[in-house]
Amino acid sequence: MAAGAELVFLVDLLAIFAVYVIVNLSLNLEFGYTGIPNFGKVLAVAAGAFVAASVPGRIFAGMAGIEGDYITENVLVVSQVNAWLVDNAGIGIGVFLLTLAVAAGAGALLGIASSYPVARLRGDYLAITLLAFGEGIRIIGNNYEPLVGGTLGVQVPDPLAFLPGEARFAAASLLLAAGAIAVYVYSERLVRSPLGRMLRAIRDDETAAGALGKDPRGARVRIIMISAAIAAIGGALYAFYVGSTIAFAYDRASWTFWPFLMILIGGLANNKGVLVGTFAFVLIRKLITFYKESFEGIVPFDVIWLDFLLLGAVLLAILLYRPQGIMVEKPTHTVRLGEKRTPLQRLLDIFR
Amino acid sequence: MALDPIFSDAVIFASLLTLLSIGLTLTYITTRVPNFAHASLATIGMYVALVATHIWGTAPYAAIPVAFCISGLVALALYVMILRPLIRRGATQAIQMIATLAFDIVLIAALNIAADYIVRATQVSAREFTLRSYDLEVAGLPMVLVAAPAAIAILAVSLHLVLSRTRFGIAMRASTENADLAESVGINVKRVYAVSWLLGGGFAGVAGSLIALWFEGDPNFGPVLIPSVFAASIVGGFMSIHGAIAGGILVGLAEVLGTRFLAGEIGPWLIAYRPLIPLALIVATLFLAPRGLAGIRWRRNGGGR
Repeated sequence: MAAGAELVFLVDLLAIFAVYVIVNLSLNLEFGYTGIPNFGKVLAVAAGAFVAASVPGRIFAGMAGIEGDYITENVLVVSQVNAWLVDNAGIGIGVFLLTLAVAAGAGALLGIASSYPVARLRGDYLAITLLAFGEGIRIIGNNYEPLVGGTLGVQVPDPLAFLPGEARFAAASLLLAAGAIAVYVYSERLVRSPLGRMLRAIRDDETAAGALGKDPRGARVRIIMISAAIAAIGGALYAFYVGSTIAFAYDRASWTFWPFLMILIGGLANNKGVLVGTFAFVLIRKLITFYKESFEGIVPFDVIWLDFLLLGAVLLAILLYRPQGIMVEKPTHTVRLGEKRTPLQRLLDIFR
Repeated sequence: MALDPIFSDAVIFASLLTLLSIGLTLTYITTRVPNFAHASLATIGMYVALVATHIWGTAPYAAIPVAFCISGLVALALYVMILRPLIRRGATQAIQMIATLAFDIVLIAALNIAADYIVRATQVSAREFTLRSYDLEVAGLPMVLVAAPAAIAILAVSLHLVLSRTRFGIAMRASTENADLAESVGINVKRVYAVSWLLGGGFAGVAGSLIALWFEGDPNFGPVLIPSVFAASIVGGFMSIHGAIAGGILVGLAEVLGTRFLAGEIGPWLIAYRPLIPLALIVATLFLAPRGLAGIRWRRNGGGR
């Protein structure tokens, strides 16, 4: 086989990068543009992953007439489902898209729940409350077995089962990348819209924005719902990509702290900075894991901690010496009134 | 003497939460940053106790002053080297919180590296270890059962005396109430804050070296414990030392005895949901009584805010 470890590495790199881009763009909308310190980012991501782990498998099993309990006989049921999906690719893709919609809906509902503290608390109290929400979902997922199998986790059916082995992973990565591009375009359009300008006005001076007739509370609630829906889609896509979900993987380090780190390194309130920060982070972590064996014997401890030490120190250095991140927030690119723009120019404008 | 181990668990856990909550409150009233690395400062204390008993072969209680110094200095480093420059630059509270989180990640990595190193260098188990067998006995009871509440009593009384009777204590109360005014009467506010961080971190170290005598120690203990410490401080109002003591006792007992009671009433499956208790207490306090126990007016005729 020509496709060696390097190709697998690149395919996996692209997929993880795409998932984190989706999650980080949603966090940037909240924290970078609106100033909501969402220390419970993991809440929406986990909700999306839990939907992907619990909904489509049961739908498929019902349609294919597969017997067996979805949780206790999970591996058996999902392997039968995947075999069935090989011949029913169309239904598979349909249910996959439906799942993403359900995940987005679940995310938005949790966003509404989070908007209750967001509208009432400020600063550290808000951050700690949101952190508590995010911790809660993991504890429930870890113990309430009908949801995602508790501590054993569950398999997630594979809508791309009709593709042969290696092509499946490449296709899944490309699909995730397409999702990330869609979220990028959406979020760029959002921050350039009147709502986007209002978000920054609220972040910079809430009283002034309120005095000019804007509704800070309403805008915050909208943005937290939108972000939660996006993050839930990211979580669902991740669950489909890795093919399983286990509650304790949705901890606050992986899905709250690392996203904050990536957007702060890249540059707050700059979506291109999010891409740069995410890429740097994912590449460093993947390289350390990839070359882990080469470190053995050189250092007298597990290399994963070197990774933590390095990332924590990099973030502290960025906060202290370059608080604006790699890419600085820029004023919105605007077009003169009445100026004619060709469709190509308009497309390129999104990436300016 | 037969004693249900749940009561030892409750007393020791509540004592340690109280100690941690006093320390967290002491740092919070100065800089208004909830320190996410606070519980990992206690983990440092656990490792000091491990090294003291297993490697130096001393009594576990000899580790207390060492743990106080090391954790205190680490907390001081966090304040002087990271938070103070950030505050000077006008960083938001959220950015300062993220800085303490980043510091926590660095601490956890360092603790894990230290644990791996201890295992390789001395063949001593340094993960999920327990030092229970090293504890002394007092009247047939493990000494930590007496020492933990005693430590709080001593620290709480001496802290109260320092804050109310000494020049330093008065300077500290002035600095936390109105830093500008305190500075204008000649108080070195920065030094007062630095001492607060040193003490706050030191208390966490003491708590850690005592925890190791009863509960299991692990490099990743901090992130597991931090919601309970935040809950204790928030229930206590986050701005008052007396509140922190009440909050620590309440949250500690609620977690251990509350879980046991509910498990007996409803079913043993409930035990696994114990981590939800501090989270629920945080949310309930912030919505219902944001100033915590310290903000409630207890006398009925004085009620109505």
